[in-house]
Amino acid sequence: MAHIVLPSVLSAEAGGRKSFEVYGETVGDALRALPIADLLFDERGEWNRWLNVYVDGIDARERGGQECPLAETREIRILAHIAGG
Amino acid sequence: MAEGPLLAGWGVYHATVDARDGTIHAAANHIVYGPTVRRSIDGGLTWERSRKLSLPSDSGMTVNAAWHVQPGRPEEPDTLYLGGDPAVLFRSDDGGETWEVNRGILEHPTRRAWLEGAGGLCCHSIQLDPIDPSRMYVGITSAGIFRTDDGGETWHPRNAGTAADHLPDPDVEVGQCVHKLLLHPARPERLWQQNHCGVYRSDDAGDSWERVDGNGVPSQFGFPIMLDPRDPDTAFVIPEESYEYHYSPAGRFAVWRTTDSGETWQQLNDGLPDRAWAAVLREASAYDERSVYFGTQSGSFFVLDDRDVWVEAARHLPPILSVEVTEWPI
Repeated sequence: MAHIVLPSVLSAEAGGRKSFEVYGETVGDALRALPIADLLFDERGEWNRWLNVYVDGIDARERGGQECPLAETREIRILAHIAGG
Repeated sequence: MAEGPLLAGWGVYHATVDARDGTIHAAANHIVYGPTVRRSIDGGLTWERSRKLSLPSDSGMTVNAAWHVQPGRPEEPDTLYLGGDPAVLFRSDDGGETWEVNRGILEHPTRRAWLEGAGGLCCHSIQLDPIDPSRMYVGITSAGIFRTDDGGETWHPRNAGTAADHLPDPDVEVGQCVHKLLLHPARPERLWQQNHCGVYRSDDAGDSWERVDGNGVPSQFGFPIMLDPRDPDTAFVIPEESYEYHYSPAGRFAVWRTTDSGETWQQLNDGLPDRAWAAVLREASAYDERSVYFGTQSGSFFVLDDRDVWVEAARHLPPILSVEVTEWPI
């Protein structure tokens, strides 16, 4: 099980919840289980290029993107690349 | 009623209140989280997000932005229309929960000649003929105006007489750069448009256009246009310097009004700053029986009072993307 932390704009879309506990074999599985999944994936199922997903502090793109395995993962943090400027 | 900010963090390109049932609809976009369509039945306190917008995979395109939400006719209470980028029109028949793309626009035979403008290939204007239920119009940046007379099955370019100075061959059927299109509600065959290349009026449902900005308007370029529902001969525009310089010509921020179908224009600048380089976006103006209204990119909101003086009703807002007017219950 992984703990997913949302940035505030997404938290507002999730009814104010800042985090979720999710199961899944991959990061993609975990994100698709969120109630705001439609905002993370485009209509072809790809991540927006400005969407950064960190798996225990490591950019998921360095570990296969959506296919990044979750086995020992404790935390997934979603960060919009534009945050901060 | 919610005080706001509502949909914080989202770029609300257009929001409107559906006069049929009071629902607020919003085209809300985010650079990371994409295009969305929202609706609220409680004055903005809570919002529902439509099912994700999508285009057929065989089109090779994806939806880049939601631009304009247009409630349908009174006799089709669950129908709404949505204009978006890349030059797409959607229709909903379930109050905005799901949206289906219009194939006639998506697969239009002239699409290859449509050029992407600075704001993308945006379908920003949707006008419904209030008398003929099978007739409607769309305005698409750098593609032009299209009319359907069969309920949206087929669409015909209606750009005859409008300039296309930005194209190497200005004598073209499509590619004209309409910035905003409005139909006069009391005389539906009369259309007005602010174009990249002038202000135009049509008295025959877009079959032909007469250019009317040569009589006093200081620039051909601008985005919004406003009307007077009681008088089809009245229109208001807010000129900008040029397509390269999106601010008031010579620092003289003014609205220009015609009351004679574009024969003459008068400057309305009482109440506006003496020196200002303002810009007003295409969705950032509105009109009703009482007045005309607009908001600037510098966050000021103006209303014209009955002495033709502009009243700055709000200031220090973020850039104003969209203005609509409605009766708001207190």
